[in-house]
Amino acid sequence: MNLVRPLFPILALIGLFFMLAACARMQAITSQPVSHPQALTIGQQADCSECHQDQQKGTLKPLEAFTHTPAFVKNHRFYAQSNDQLCSSCHKTSFCSDCHTNRVEMKPSLKYGNRPDRDLPHRGDFMTLHKIEGKVDPASCYRCHGRGNNDRCVACHQGARYL
Amino acid sequence: MKKTFCSLFSAASLLVSSAAIAAETSLDATTILRIERRSVSGSSTQDIMPATQFLNLDVNKLGDGNLSLHLSGWGRVDLADKSYNTDRADGNLTYGYLQYRFTHANADIRAGRLFVHEGIVNEHVDGLALRTDLPLGFGISAFGGATVHTRHLWGQTSDGKGDGIVGGRINYRHEGLLEIGVSAVGESKAPLLANYASPVQAPPNGDIRSNHRLAGGDIWFSPYRFMEIIGHSSYNIETHKMAEHAYLLNLKPLQQLVLSGEFNEYRDRSYLYAWSLFSGSALNPADRSRSVGGIASYDFNKTVGLTADYRHYTRQLGNADRYGADLRLSFLNNRVRSGLGYHYLRAGQNFAIASNTSASYHSLRAYALHDTKTYFAAVDAIDYIFKNKVYDEKHAWEGTLSLGYHLTPALALSGDISYGRNPEFTEDLRGLLRLTYNMNFDGKGGK
Repeated sequence: MNLVRPLFPILALIGLFFMLAACARMQAITSQPVSHPQALTIGQQADCSECHQDQQKGTLKPLEAFTHTPAFVKNHRFYAQSNDQLCSSCHKTSFCSDCHTNRVEMKPSLKYGNRPDRDLPHRGDFMTLHKIEGKVDPASCYRCHGRGNNDRCVACHQGARYL
Repeated sequence: MKKTFCSLFSAASLLVSSAAIAAETSLDATTILRIERRSVSGSSTQDIMPATQFLNLDVNKLGDGNLSLHLSGWGRVDLADKSYNTDRADGNLTYGYLQYRFTHANADIRAGRLFVHEGIVNEHVDGLALRTDLPLGFGISAFGGATVHTRHLWGQTSDGKGDGIVGGRINYRHEGLLEIGVSAVGESKAPLLANYASPVQAPPNGDIRSNHRLAGGDIWFSPYRFMEIIGHSSYNIETHKMAEHAYLLNLKPLQQLVLSGEFNEYRDRSYLYAWSLFSGSALNPADRSRSVGGIASYDFNKTVGLTADYRHYTRQLGNADRYGADLRLSFLNNRVRSGLGYHYLRAGQNFAIASNTSASYHSLRAYALHDTKTYFAAVDAIDYIFKNKVYDEKHAWEGTLSLGYHLTPALALSGDISYGRNPEFTEDLRGLLRLTYNMNFDGKGGK
């Protein structure tokens, strides 16, 4: 303890030096563009590889990995876990919150009844289906309705029983 | 209720006035008037007519050009019978935050009501979120603030969530080949919930807490351009057990072919622990759920694509399988888009509704839409065919017809009409009028 106290200012100074050095080097790291330079076609599954082959900079992932194939759309949660800044270069935040939100006023498929081509959850009579799907894969319910977006679930599910 | 509207109105007023002097403003507004007749067995018929206003506002290039404001919310008024068992009016501020993006190191600061997606963290916070890349491939992010609450649980004075939340992620990236991250989230002590069944952990007074505290790691690894592995694992700090493993393997042997394999495993109690709706903490610690599956997707050309998928579910209740295929077609430079889909879920008695001996069902869907510079039209039909009748109904089907007109490139008026029959509603007839204003900039929108 007696040794640490006099060493503290020196350690703090070394820490500060490394922090300043890191900050100086950060000037060399350029940010991704805030938005995509070209408008993308509505309803077309974006093929990033059309323009972005072998164009990743620094430590960025190859952009062709984000091509919106049907598999990508179904598994987009894996990409959003660490790349939401890249998502936001083409999608407004409201694009995500159409489905992922704390309170949803109506089913996304009802709000976008004029866009049956969009991959939206719970089409048709999901009121009946959820009694089956909730038992088959409760984790899929929890991802969206566990911590929020459960306004309507509360009306029937009251915590004292499980699935 | 009044408080929500006041907050929404004040935030909107502030942002609209800011928008007036901003270099770049984008407004998306959708007004929806629903007209529905609900006929439920044993109840009187209800005519409902809720009018809902959705509003999204993005104000970019404020100040020195790196500052932006983002707002999204909705408000609803019932013009006939109540559409839902709450007030005749309702509303919500989905998000409203100020963001400053630095020109270097992908650094940004967000303040306000916002969503956080960082590794295993998926939260909705009233607070602050910061993120930056660091030298040598490292990166760091942190967030903290007040939890965004939802509706109170039945018979409770809370939604079961704590009031404060904090978390973050540290990551390392290597030359476009690898990214690994470590993340954690901790919520303040959850409120006591009275009368919750908890055979595993109930204290003498029968009350339980479902504290939300997780830590975990995530990975993205692409040793070859045609192959990537993405996934994450999380650990529940409260139960001292692993909560989730979720991993995806993508192979792209050909430009048009994507093969995807997915593995998910959950310890039910640890993963669903903070799920107050179902007393997640009351589950048996030994229970595990697993799903393993794959997707194969092939684009024959720009107009035809076929996707086939299979998934096997394993739970203490039993196991189930789901398989099927989707065909996508597009013509006339993508102005006509259509699709056909078939899936079958094979699931046994333990997953079934009421006293049925099977939960299996077929799912059939067909849709088509035509979008021109003037009018647009869409038709969508979906049918679920149950192996065992549910409440004496073999089918749950619904057909929707939508017609619309682009009044200007940004403004469109459309109407939907849908009719269906299903086990819940003997008849389900809905009409909907939609006025949409979409102002896009810089290619953003993605809709």
